[in-house]
Amino acid sequence: MMAQNSPARYVSAPRAGENMWLWMVKMITGPILVILLLIHFVVNHFIAETGLLTYADVVAYYRNPVIPVMEILFLVTVVTHSLIGLRGILLDLNPARRLLKVIDGGLILAGITAVAYGVWLVLVIVSRGA
Amino acid sequence: MEKQRNHPSPLKFWLWFNPIGRQAGGWAYILHRITALGLTFYLYLHLIVLGLLAKGPDGYDQFLVLAHSPLFVFGELLVVAAGILHGLNGMRIALTTLGVSVTRQKQLFFGLMAIAAIAILVFGIRMFTV
Repeated sequence: MMAQNSPARYVSAPRAGENMWLWMVKMITGPILVILLLIHFVVNHFIAETGLLTYADVVAYYRNPVIPVMEILFLVTVVTHSLIGLRGILLDLNPARRLLKVIDGGLILAGITAVAYGVWLVLVIVSRGA
Repeated sequence: MEKQRNHPSPLKFWLWFNPIGRQAGGWAYILHRITALGLTFYLYLHLIVLGLLAKGPDGYDQFLVLAHSPLFVFGELLVVAAGILHGLNGMRIALTTLGVSVTRQKQLFFGLMAIAAIAILVFGIRMFTV
């Protein structure tokens, strides 16, 4: 047990009902996202020559194989972080155990759908430039 | 006690954002939660909008004309600001979890927020002038 007023009390920890591993994934993907977002941003807005302001620009840009790989990596990480975070927020509403199971199912489905859709979209764009 | 506010009954979620009697940590908590919800909403909106790319040049290029209106650019600045605030405050959470700067958390928070303010200002100026 930590002392009532020790500074350690104010450090992030898994919530009640939050698995330690889920919390850890959220904590690790956070700093990774800062780096990936920085890359996503700098590459999409500053390095891309014309600034990706037309459909043709985007298709041409995705011809570089590094881009789809980076975007999919970013997608998986950001979706994971956002859904674990959203689950944490929903946990603060003290859902009943059965409701939490429904929420978990919904979040997993949302995550799989978002990633599958994103990967499909990336592949469509890549195929347009092939 | 800040802690009790984090566990409201389901219909009292507005207590998360109650500004009365907050200390620095409480404000960081409000900021992190609002930006989390905003960024999550934006992420899925962003994925849906990018689906226009699958429809070919017409849909996407038409959308980009709309995206250059000042109201849209302002919305994008809000997203950028949320990303910077959530990312930098998240770095504080990650660092203190690793035991770094636990007793200097307030200073770390205000230092990071000063950096965030400057970054948001730079982005704002750039987005509305270039």
